[in-house]
Amino acid sequence: MTNYIIRRILQMIPVLFGVTLLVFLLLRVSGDPVQLMLGEDATAEQVAQLRAAMGLDRPLHVQYISYMSDLLRGDFGTSIRYNNQPALQVVLERLPATAQLAGMALFVAIVISLPAAIIAAYWRGRIPDYIASFLSVLGQAMPSFWFGIMLILIFGITLSWLPVSGQDQPGAVILPGLALGASLAGVLTRLLRSSLLEVMNQDFIRTARAKGLHPRTIIFRHVLRNSILSYLTVIGLETAALMAGAVVTEQVFAWPGIGLLVIQAINFRDMAVVQAVIILSAIIVMMTSLIVDILYSLIDPRIQHG
Amino acid sequence: MSRLNPKRMLLGAVFAALMTGGALAQDRELVIAQGIDTPGFDIHNHSTSAVEAIHVNIFDYLVMRDQAGELQPALATDWEQVSDSAMRFHLREGVLFHDGTTMTAEDVKFSLERPALDPAVLQHSFYDTITEVEVVNDHEIIIHTDGPDPILLNRISRIGSGIVPKAYVDEVGWEGFSQKPIGTGPFKVVEWLRDDRIIMEGFDEHWRGAPAWDRLIHRTIPEASTRVGELISGGVDIATNIPSQDRDRVEGSGIAHAVPWPSFRVMQLFLNTKDDSPLADPKVREAIDLAIDNQMLIDTVTNGLGTPVRAAVTPGLSAVPMAYYDTYNFDPERAVQLLEEAGYGPNELQLKLQGPAGRYPLDVETLEIVAVMLNAVGIQTDIETLEWSAYESRVWTPNTIDGIALIGHANSLQDGYHAVQRARCGFEFSLKTGWCDEEFDKLIEQSAATVDPKERAQQISDAFDLFVESNTVLHLFQVENLIGVSTSVDWSPSPDEQLWMYDAQPQ
Repeated sequence: MTNYIIRRILQMIPVLFGVTLLVFLLLRVSGDPVQLMLGEDATAEQVAQLRAAMGLDRPLHVQYISYMSDLLRGDFGTSIRYNNQPALQVVLERLPATAQLAGMALFVAIVISLPAAIIAAYWRGRIPDYIASFLSVLGQAMPSFWFGIMLILIFGITLSWLPVSGQDQPGAVILPGLALGASLAGVLTRLLRSSLLEVMNQDFIRTARAKGLHPRTIIFRHVLRNSILSYLTVIGLETAALMAGAVVTEQVFAWPGIGLLVIQAINFRDMAVVQAVIILSAIIVMMTSLIVDILYSLIDPRIQHG
Repeated sequence: MSRLNPKRMLLGAVFAALMTGGALAQDRELVIAQGIDTPGFDIHNHSTSAVEAIHVNIFDYLVMRDQAGELQPALATDWEQVSDSAMRFHLREGVLFHDGTTMTAEDVKFSLERPALDPAVLQHSFYDTITEVEVVNDHEIIIHTDGPDPILLNRISRIGSGIVPKAYVDEVGWEGFSQKPIGTGPFKVVEWLRDDRIIMEGFDEHWRGAPAWDRLIHRTIPEASTRVGELISGGVDIATNIPSQDRDRVEGSGIAHAVPWPSFRVMQLFLNTKDDSPLADPKVREAIDLAIDNQMLIDTVTNGLGTPVRAAVTPGLSAVPMAYYDTYNFDPERAVQLLEEAGYGPNELQLKLQGPAGRYPLDVETLEIVAVMLNAVGIQTDIETLEWSAYESRVWTPNTIDGIALIGHANSLQDGYHAVQRARCGFEFSLKTGWCDEEFDKLIEQSAATVDPKERAQQISDAFDLFVESNTVLHLFQVENLIGVSTSVDWSPSPDEQLWMYDAQPQ
């Protein structure tokens, strides 16, 4: 197992190098931030001066080598959108807000999907199944942008039950959590329902029924336990994705997390911040995937890594 | 005066009561929402009027524009021209910074010499005529310029003109200052949460007197529909850039108004006249000008918000020929005739129309309607829109406009000179269009050194005439934004795009 973990971590290094190169090139070829910083009033001379001062007039490979040598020393560069604050600090200070939103979205997704999938599987082919399936497709199909605005209109403006946007008021996390959790709930319901059905058709469940066990005992003690693996896998991977920031939801609800930061940074060509977000996201995704793989073998001893 | 709905209050009432002992209930709080955050509080290192709109509440200038756009005493009580290149300012006595220290002439020297003398700060080019700020005594300074500077007062009443405490900046550095600023303005910064909110408190010792509000909160809400939602649910009191299609919704809410907010920004079409471009022919350029019905463009795209113009002139600017305001040329028949004279039959001329997507209100729609109008006189167009930063990188690189490009220019110096000086040979407009005119350049140079306001205004007006006649930059309309203002606040926006909240009163 230890060898396996070491091997997986070593495999991350070339992937991270690839990520830095790709992000660096894409950002550089799609324009630079100088004119944005100076505004429309700037003179051509000023633009050239600032470009030179920021080192953006150097050949791309020179810029990349300089960037990588800083990065290897743990220096992610400075944010041009935020008056030269360290990019890593600007990104890290957003993590709590993003984690709060991700936690709420996961909570919403689990609270909806777990009972919905069990009900759908238990009453397979009957009305509760149709309703649960319909709702799960709906959850996945609704664009989060539209759903977020609808939630604001209904619960924020018309009913005035919850804050429209921001993070400071009590209950502010509920609407963005719902908007973000709805589509995840759809995915999880469908996934869990089909794996429950698969297990329910197996011989040992038939045996349990023949033994006269209570249906509730069968579902919770035998079927659910044997179906939960793929469910947990998806939750793990989705958590990683949520921690990388929910761009659309954070933008709609003015939620000051990593998603809002990265979209503003892209608009402002704040290269150091975009790079820091993407590298951190890549690390989070890879680490989560490793943890999920390790958990596999803990939950199901038949799975061996070596 | 941010109003919480009773139901929403229920949700947080216990919490709030426990946390504050009910003190907040008596707070007079004003909440503003804009789409962007401040980059920090380094006043010389930003170039955005929406950011200055926040800063203006924290830092005072020596002179400040009033609601009518007239320059009024602020930290300077009066001023006089000492010579062609020197102006004396008497400073207000007893002005306190937010940390309780007294403002002196040394602070003024420090604050104005940085943008003037340090080429690395973003505002340098607007202050580079200033060579020295001489301290005469604690309450008197003389600003020396490198020659006559007729718009010195315009320079020192805008972005970067705030007065900051030298001793504090020396202690914490500009980086530290940028995070925790101190000024003499009516509000002091208590906390800044990036991309979320700036929490400011009323400064009771402010020299004008304490502001009417205990707290001023600036919120960053990038999504326009969310800003509108907050405004009509009472979450914020003032919201900028309300989309014109939401005007009726705001008015219908009963708790807020959507107030037209004319800006100094003028939407313009830059025509590349270089090489063998069909736009090198003055007849083609005139035909394009005559093909565009500016008023219909405004009515169609912005629901009537805006005023047609023939040059970058708007009310509130000094030394601009207002004859070009609220007027336009439209004669499609003559346009067709001119195109024929230039050798183009119907649909024989093909031009590219470039523009940004999402930078200005309804920019893509503006391009689409212009294209329809050009098609009507037989000009075929290809529209190409790009995300703003990509577009900006493209059109600001000299000689890269392909055909016609849409750009909106504001005028932060609020003077006619600034509107046209960039059309000189070798300067930004000229690099985009290829237009060069010696007579024009001479007029601009003369106006830069002419102190007599009448003579100077005439020189600039003559330069405007030459520029407009060239038809190398076609002016479409003055941008008029909408700002949402709660009915519980008595405040009117000023045309310089500043959110000066000292004037706001609860009602």
